[in-house]
Amino acid sequence: MKRLSRRVAASLSGLILAAAFLAGSAGAQAKPDLTIALSSFSTETLDPALGGHLVKYYLSMMFDYLVGTTLDGQPSRDGGIATRWESSPDYKRWTFYLRKGVKFHNGDEATSEDVKFSIMRNIGPRSTTGYAGPLRTLIQTIETPAPDRVVIVTKDPTLIIPTYLSRSLSTEGMVLPKKYIEQVGDDVFARKPVGSGPYKFVEQVTGSHIKLAAVDNHWRIGTPKYKSMIFKLVPEETTRLALLRRGEVDITEVSRERVKELEKESFPVHFRREESILTMWWILGPDGWVAPMKDKRVREAMNLAIDRAEVAQAVFAGKADPAAIPLGLSWSFKEIGLKVTPETYYPYDPARAKKLLADAGVGSGFPLEVYAYQLPGLPEGKAMAEAVSGYWEKIGIKTKLVPVDYPAFRKNWVDRKTPGSVGYFNIANRDWIGTYALLEKQAYTPAKANDTVNDPEVDGMIAQVMRQTDKEKINALMRNIYTRIRSEHSGMPLVYLHSAYAAGKKLGKWNPSSVMYDLFLDELASGK
Amino acid sequence: MIRFVFSRLLQSLVALAILSVVVFILARATGDPLHLILPMSATQEEYAEARRYLGLDRPYVEQYLSFVGKAVRGDFGMSLRARRPVGELLRERLPNSVSLAVFAMGVSLAIAFPLGVMAAVKKGTGLDRAAQVIAVLGQSLPTFWVAIVLVEFIAGRLQWLPAGGNESFASYILPGFTLGWFVVAGMMRLLRSAMLEVLDSEYVKLARVKGVVESQVIWVHALKNALVPVVTFAGIYFAILVTTAIVVETVFAWPGLGRLAYEGISSRDFPVIQAVVLTTAAIVAVVNLGVDCLYAVIDPRIRYAR
Repeated sequence: MKRLSRRVAASLSGLILAAAFLAGSAGAQAKPDLTIALSSFSTETLDPALGGHLVKYYLSMMFDYLVGTTLDGQPSRDGGIATRWESSPDYKRWTFYLRKGVKFHNGDEATSEDVKFSIMRNIGPRSTTGYAGPLRTLIQTIETPAPDRVVIVTKDPTLIIPTYLSRSLSTEGMVLPKKYIEQVGDDVFARKPVGSGPYKFVEQVTGSHIKLAAVDNHWRIGTPKYKSMIFKLVPEETTRLALLRRGEVDITEVSRERVKELEKESFPVHFRREESILTMWWILGPDGWVAPMKDKRVREAMNLAIDRAEVAQAVFAGKADPAAIPLGLSWSFKEIGLKVTPETYYPYDPARAKKLLADAGVGSGFPLEVYAYQLPGLPEGKAMAEAVSGYWEKIGIKTKLVPVDYPAFRKNWVDRKTPGSVGYFNIANRDWIGTYALLEKQAYTPAKANDTVNDPEVDGMIAQVMRQTDKEKINALMRNIYTRIRSEHSGMPLVYLHSAYAAGKKLGKWNPSSVMYDLFLDELASGK
Repeated sequence: MIRFVFSRLLQSLVALAILSVVVFILARATGDPLHLILPMSATQEEYAEARRYLGLDRPYVEQYLSFVGKAVRGDFGMSLRARRPVGELLRERLPNSVSLAVFAMGVSLAIAFPLGVMAAVKKGTGLDRAAQVIAVLGQSLPTFWVAIVLVEFIAGRLQWLPAGGNESFASYILPGFTLGWFVVAGMMRLLRSAMLEVLDSEYVKLARVKGVVESQVIWVHALKNALVPVVTFAGIYFAILVTTAIVVETVFAWPGLGRLAYEGISSRDFPVIQAVVLTTAAIVAVVNLGVDCLYAVIDPRIRYAR
């Protein structure tokens, strides 16, 4: 019997060791791929018209944009299909001159007809992209006077066209093959997309990965260094880090709290500094502000009650910096000439906050619902909501945390069902036009249900920006908008979040850029 | 026997029909998928347009009848999130879940059988107690914790096995073990108690008296008769492994049915939720039916009793 038990034990151990050996030898093989592990692919779509922001991570390697972008998010004549562009004196006709010889992966040449078709499709009624709505409203027609020339005619004078169709924002500017899509239809295209980017589509296993293969001698980056690029969907961070340690992935997003651990192990960690602003706001009622937040002093008190430096340190492991202006996308500040002085920041002053509440007649506090949820890039969401509620409790506000998921909060927000309650979002940083687009979404009363500012003065200035074509005047308007939002305390800026991406030890030089939802892998893969 | 199978089949179909109504209602109770699909800037008109385009503006009864009418032909509609036919997504994911469940079941059989039998044979010894500890741990340790610990140490620190994905045979080991361990515990205890009962029976004593080799007594004569309850257990657990591996599939980045369900629920993707729930229910029903038939074949008393 003893012999039998030993045999059983020996067989089991043998099985485990054999498996480990097999696995070990498989894992030791070298690979010519660049593998990126992400926690979410959003909709996982391969069709730019159905995508939006998060899908840019992989789509930007498969498709070219009409207008390229630099590493710091500025329109570039080198990175897109348009080599130059100009507007008519009235800023209602934008002419784009196209690069010649750009080929789609099926061999067709990209022409002005493809550009026209792409824009119309990307902003069409099927589109779910971030800026399809505003572009649909703005664009009157698109002309194609020559195969290498496209003219976009707008209903109103505007400066935003090049940026809205560039890589710095969403996917509306991606150039698609007209002939191929018309031939195979939307559904086949969405499964077997053809673009003109440095990598072509190979396979998608939903819930697992998207694999791309390098094309030879691409105009953007030459013949890419990596023969294939694989985007892996790995929701669990422990697994992503284990894959990194095993050398199975080369780049992975990493939470702020685990950065130190990886740095100790000598893994390079790259930061996209101030990748987003974490800002909180009050849900408006059908007619705007509701009491007691209608009183500016209450809004100021709630801002003064928060110790942002402590939040940055304790909740975000020091990988965040206090923010000063509601909806203040800092990547635009330099362009619009906005200077954030130390006085702009809210001090942590609970005593003054209490006094302001007393002056406003709510010294004994008031009930406040605070929604608590997590978001992509914000695993600390609930902890942050809890911490901020704690500060408000200290000044007498009776907070109630409402754990929900984001869509449930968003429904309450846009339906204005729970006015006065508080929600938040980590809004991706962007340049001045992207910033304007955000203000037009969240600070402009006439346009949308998701307004959070409810200030006629701000509405007036936003409307002026829309019609203005003098950049200096636009800059002044943008500065004034921010000054007004800050002085009226029309929201609660918390912190700027620095997002971390860990890389394999053998990965070369890489700058993850300041382009929204884009890791800018061009530089890393460049064979030029 | 045919009557028995027919009656079970009918019961399964009724259960599926009831479930289709329940899942249709509950999926819609979770919220509006457009809040995830449409951008923040979407206007009320754009919401209305998307609702119309996706067929969500039709009355619920019409939506339900359309869903059922298509589902019986194997068409579960289009995923609201991925905008791909749900049937296609199921065909991609189901084989991954089945193969992982097969592997996990293999692991659990390979461990539970020798341990269960030896625990019975060596009742009250150190081996028996060790087996009991394994059983208790397998059933009491949360699956997500086991999964994370294995990924962190076996894959991440020791680098013995892959941490995630389903690219190679080796990548089956950690998720398969995590899933299988829970089953090992139940199966081993069941086998142990069945073996104890059988080992104490007259025919086993007679075999020993007749001088049959001990290993043959245990592994052939006794084990064969102790298998009946284990077969039922294994069948039901196989269905459960295929359909409820959400946590394991998420931790190990395994593109299976559980992950598809999770993605569907978190994005309010009604067609996906409906399809996954109905598919898993159908799997459970079919496996239960198979087990019942097998049980009736193994033990004629059951067949005659019905």
